[in-house]
Amino acid sequence: MLSIVRKELKLLLKGKGNFFFLILMPMIFICLFGSVFSSVGKSTVKVNYVDLDHTATSQQFVHAIGQVKGFALRAQPSSNLTSDIQQVADGKLDSLLVIPSGFGTTLRAGEKPAELRFYVDPTAASVTGPIESVVNEIANQYQTKRVAAALAATGAGPAKVQRILQPSVQVQEIQRIGNQPSSFNMVDQVVPGYTVMFAFFILMSMMRSFIGEKESGMLTRLLSTPLRPLAYLVGMWIPSLIAVLVQCVVLLGFGHAVYGVHLGDLGAMAAVVLCLGICGTGIGLAISLLVRGENQGRSISMLISIGGAAVGGLWLPTQLMPHAVQVIGRVTPQYWAQQAFQNVMMRSAHIGDIWQSLAILLAFGAAGLLVAVWRFPHFVRSATH
Amino acid sequence: MNDTVLEVQDLHKTYGKTAALQGATFSVQAGSCFGLLGPNGAGKSTTMKVLTGIIQPDRGETRVLGLRPDREPGAVRKRIGYVPQEITLYDKLSARDNLAFFGELYGVPRAQLPQRIREVLRQIGLENRGGDLVGSFSGGMKRRVNIAAALLHHPQLLILDEPTVGIDPQSRNHIFGIIRSLKQDGVTVIYSTHYMEEVESLCDHLAILDHGRVIAEGSLHDVLALQTGQAVYVEFDAASASRPLPSLPGVRRTTSQGGGFLLETDDPVQCIRALLDWAAGQAVNLCAIEMVRPSLESVFLSLTGTNLRD
Repeated sequence: MLSIVRKELKLLLKGKGNFFFLILMPMIFICLFGSVFSSVGKSTVKVNYVDLDHTATSQQFVHAIGQVKGFALRAQPSSNLTSDIQQVADGKLDSLLVIPSGFGTTLRAGEKPAELRFYVDPTAASVTGPIESVVNEIANQYQTKRVAAALAATGAGPAKVQRILQPSVQVQEIQRIGNQPSSFNMVDQVVPGYTVMFAFFILMSMMRSFIGEKESGMLTRLLSTPLRPLAYLVGMWIPSLIAVLVQCVVLLGFGHAVYGVHLGDLGAMAAVVLCLGICGTGIGLAISLLVRGENQGRSISMLISIGGAAVGGLWLPTQLMPHAVQVIGRVTPQYWAQQAFQNVMMRSAHIGDIWQSLAILLAFGAAGLLVAVWRFPHFVRSATH
Repeated sequence: MNDTVLEVQDLHKTYGKTAALQGATFSVQAGSCFGLLGPNGAGKSTTMKVLTGIIQPDRGETRVLGLRPDREPGAVRKRIGYVPQEITLYDKLSARDNLAFFGELYGVPRAQLPQRIREVLRQIGLENRGGDLVGSFSGGMKRRVNIAAALLHHPQLLILDEPTVGIDPQSRNHIFGIIRSLKQDGVTVIYSTHYMEEVESLCDHLAILDHGRVIAEGSLHDVLALQTGQAVYVEFDAASASRPLPSLPGVRRTTSQGGGFLLETDDPVQCIRALLDWAAGQAVNLCAIEMVRPSLESVFLSLTGTNLRD
């Protein structure tokens, strides 16, 4: 059996494609998506505006928008107003806030609402929505000031005015319940997510290896030696397991070194990595012995690794997915591996806290190994006849 | 050296509806080179897989070196070397790494393995290429390493399944040299092929297999003697090719072969004389006329009515 293990490890190391497929490609994905998602929430929303009023009131209004965190003002020359509106229509500009002439006078008079024009590109709702909210919020503040002034005019003292104007309902946000993370960064999703996803790419490598040995006649020849069939099976499995363990350690280490991802209890992390390895390679062994040929094997492997990643919450937090997908996701091993990783990394969980995930991963792996042992005699027959 | 090392008795094996073996029976003497001759699909590879215990026969009994492969496969496999028809080596590994892998599988002690690898590399004429990747080798070199992988554990019986398919004459001669050398060292060789000239050149005993049955078995001399008659081959030029052959005295059977005719007769000299007289009288130009000595091809033809390579 050790001869098979040594041989497979040599072949794994000699195959440059394996290094790219199992290590380099996931690193590229982590960098790519890590860079994209780590900027989410940090970028500022640009507010394009044209002030045709040029009064202290209009400037004060615009200044109030610029003071809101995450929003940056970008003044557009009034001479370009027509072309700017056309750019919004063409989708080249997300939005344009126009403060018309007479805005300040109308606002101060208070006889009728002071009008603002907000041109928006409907396809950029994710950007224009927050701007509209901020503009409305500032407009409301003007209204509140007018109400306060009216109350003061009726003789109400400042305390009474404040009491009347205070919100009826106040929401108090409470974080850090138990071991909750203090904050969530998408890199905490991307690093374990892509580690789990690419761990399942071992299915492809295992399937190619088994089908190759069968179709080349190598398996038949090996069976003519004193090698026992079960030793062959175990010997082919162990190197793939080692490859997944090394892959996970490298990718998580990469995430820690480059993005500062917190790894939590290393013992618990090791347990998750080991169970994930057993799960992935167990399923890989079953698939390798069940499929009829490489094409079929490739399709099934892709379905399990990519499909499982999509519904198992490896690409996006499961909370963002439709309910039906969330339910389906829970029957994938990827979901449980991701949960286990994130609980250890973000919620300071230990082995005792993630036993359910570990047990489910081991159950998947054990099922795969049992199927492989059951199927192996058929695989041998199809190779030798 | 007349001990029987291999006995095959009434072997049957069916794959689905296809009968690969239908009562094959033969035996092999120790130290001999035994040829298993037959066309593609005759059952040669199936027989070899049964001998190595890779597949189980539906019926019949096999004894290899006194052991039953179906009951003691491990003991049999330690004593035999099997070279399959396919080149079963890892292209990404060096010849030495491939041999080390097979040596370990055959249980060659680790301390002796490097020495054994050097010896077999020398034996196959690749002592200076041990560190090279097998993927960089020619087909003939790969075939030689393919054989070397079955020699590391000093097998008593070497089973070769069509080991010269698709290789150049130089590599073929090298492989013949390896087999003769093994035979001299007392190794019994079973050599499967559909090339008659290989059996004639290498083997002292043979069995001809057709449709899963042994249709002839014995020493090369005995099998050739099955075709008791002799033959004359005659070929006309293009202008006379359509002329029908006359009925000639002493000719038992006439069959077309290649571009001419094969005339089976007990008296080839008289047949040639009659042919020459007829050709002179009819102004027929002969391209070739020759006596044909008995060959395995002609034996196979006379036993089955078909050519070996059909």
